[in-house]
Amino acid sequence: MKVNQHFGTLYFLLVIGQVILCNYAQLGPYIILSMLPAMIFCIPTAVSTISCMFIAFASGLAVDWLSEGIIGLNAAAALPAAFLRRGMIRIFLGEDLITRGDRFSFKKNGVGKISVALILSTAVFLTVYILLDGAGTRPVWFNMTRLGVSLALNFLLGLIVTGILTPDDRK
Amino acid sequence: MRKNNIIYSLINAAIFIILEVAALTMLSHNGRLQQMWISRGIHRFMGNIWGGTQRIGDYFSLKGRNEELALENHELRLKLAQMEQALTAEMKAEIPESNSAGEFIYIPATIVKISNNSQHNYMIISKGSSDGITEGAGVITGKGAVGVIDAVGENYSYARSFRNHEMSISARLGREGAVGPLNWNGRSSSGAILKEIPHHVVFEPGDTVYTSGYSSIFPPDIPLGVTGKSRIVNGATYEIDITLFEDFGALRYVTIVENKGQEEMHKLESGQ
Repeated sequence: MKVNQHFGTLYFLLVIGQVILCNYAQLGPYIILSMLPAMIFCIPTAVSTISCMFIAFASGLAVDWLSEGIIGLNAAAALPAAFLRRGMIRIFLGEDLITRGDRFSFKKNGVGKISVALILSTAVFLTVYILLDGAGTRPVWFNMTRLGVSLALNFLLGLIVTGILTPDDRK
Repeated sequence: MRKNNIIYSLINAAIFIILEVAALTMLSHNGRLQQMWISRGIHRFMGNIWGGTQRIGDYFSLKGRNEELALENHELRLKLAQMEQALTAEMKAEIPESNSAGEFIYIPATIVKISNNSQHNYMIISKGSSDGITEGAGVITGKGAVGVIDAVGENYSYARSFRNHEMSISARLGREGAVGPLNWNGRSSSGAILKEIPHHVVFEPGDTVYTSGYSSIFPPDIPLGVTGKSRIVNGATYEIDITLFEDFGALRYVTIVENKGQEEMHKLESGQ
């Protein structure tokens, strides 16, 4: 199946959106808003893991550089999500999707399956992000609360991002 | 096909590690907290790697160590039996049950890291201040005096090795002979030089050299090595080549000796 031609443009626009989120949406110490895990998860399955990791690394660095964060933080958190992306798709959405290089969508694969994979991908990103951001200085309860609250919000944000990046085929 | 998949997975993992390390490096250069946290993690990881390789090395040298220990045990049992025969019942009752003997306390330890390839060699030992180790304690084995503790951490100690130019041991030719400083010769792993032995002293190549006991660090009569070639220096004293008993390349288990009276001796020396 042909990779969505608009995917690159949409992805680029979402990176800019993420930079704006990082710079202007400061919602307190417990909330991290990031579209990166969902964006990485939605990279077409035809794209290899290696390319996906480079895309994730570059997007993370771009966000780090253009926002007020610490350089390397988003890049370090995005990489595990990219590394595990194919495995999660294989487990939750099926091996066929990878072998055929098909795109997934809510309509074809169901909201439930995509949601579970999305939650896991987001959880991986947030866990690494929170651990590196806290650098061992914050108590476990703080990190856990931060993870829980951010995971809930990012999951909702991720559903919107997935809807944008993986539209259902129109016939 | 399966082989290709494995290779592809390995390449993926390698690229992931490289990129993650790059990201973490950038992070540690840009965040002070992150820098400290990451470097602490790296040190802990390296410590575990050292420990792991040490354990593997120890495992493969067990056979040789067992034979050495069996021989040492045999010699010690023999000495103990001879001593027990010589002691009266009253004398036996007076011997305290502890890890000390006379003025010295003996603490067994393991070498975690050892440097053997420079002129200033050192050892990291698996006992620290929490085990009662203090600076200035001696490090010995059944085959000689091997170092002196220079710095003490909570769980580890840093010892200057005998194979260090700054290290000197007071040694005696035979059990009751002349005393002089013994230094590493700076070249071979088992070579040392005994200096300042008066010209009139008679000795033969192959005589044993022991610690003299004229220092607050090492107990007397620890065998160190045997004499070899000698030469007269400045027409007054001998310089004697010594072949040490200890093989520093195979050093693993040591005993730390603490002199209970060391502090008092230092106070007297400094005139306090």
